[in-house]
Amino acid sequence: MSDLAGALREPWPDLQLQRAGVGLGMWIFLASEVLFFAALFCGYAVYRSFNAGAFRIAGEHTEIVYGSINTVLLLTSSLTMTVALRAATAQLRKLTLYCLAATAALGVAFLVCKGLEYHEDLKEHLFPGPHFPLSPPATQIFWGFYWIMTGIHAVHLTGGIAVVLVVFTLFKRRVIPVQGSIMEGVAIYWHFVDSVWLVLYPLLYLVGRS
Amino acid sequence: MSQSDTGDRRRDSAAAWRLWKGPGLTWLALVALFAVSLGSAYLPLGAGNVATNLVIAAVMIALLVTFLMDLKNAQTIIRIVAASGLLWTVFMFALTFNDYLSRHY
Repeated sequence: MSDLAGALREPWPDLQLQRAGVGLGMWIFLASEVLFFAALFCGYAVYRSFNAGAFRIAGEHTEIVYGSINTVLLLTSSLTMTVALRAATAQLRKLTLYCLAATAALGVAFLVCKGLEYHEDLKEHLFPGPHFPLSPPATQIFWGFYWIMTGIHAVHLTGGIAVVLVVFTLFKRRVIPVQGSIMEGVAIYWHFVDSVWLVLYPLLYLVGRS
Repeated sequence: MSQSDTGDRRRDSAAAWRLWKGPGLTWLALVALFAVSLGSAYLPLGAGNVATNLVIAAVMIALLVTFLMDLKNAQTIIRIVAASGLLWTVFMFALTFNDYLSRHY
């Protein structure tokens, strides 16, 4: 059986249609994910509209260097993921593997940066509660959103890294051929996690800088 | 190494270069927009700061979705599904702020 025939699954007549099917399924899932994050963004917008001054004071204390490094890391991971998908479609197995490894490495680098950032935040006691150092009290609302939003994003990214590593292993051991449809879903999910960060970055790191 | 092997390798590396070119240009645009967004945050624009940052974020997401997620070549049904997430988000914001901004207490 050729690699191409091995990539094709029931009930699809050809690989192009199979890839479109996987893409459609992932987009439906992501449309529900958009609403999940949109509820957080909406809550943030409501509280910020009523506590603009407090959000400004609170926003000054986020670690903009870590946030900015992480933005570049995720943007670069989207580049390597796109090339991985295109290389897989073009049956360039080695390039697919290199790009998948680079994507996972960039994702891990993001999480390491995030861990260092959390460490700095906790050193300054920037966690809502009795010993919170900032005032007015509404600054805690901003930091509540900070922990929830970045935490949920990190969980999504961790899931993405795990999937990328599983797919990498399956490709490397030739369990499944690279030109199958699996890369379609993985790539779309990865870009989605990146795009969520592109909203989080201005909301959490660029507040109160001027 | 035979001449055909060398030819195959050249063709492979040319194909690999073509794969990087388009996404690479999009990546450059995204990094440039990120730098503009970061720089503008330090300008005293008042309410214009958040507006600028969010508009740039929207443009960056549009670039990412169009070129890296390849929505420009996607089937219509996929574009409709992708747009549906945005549509319901707009409804969520409109209905929520319709309530909060019309309260007078």
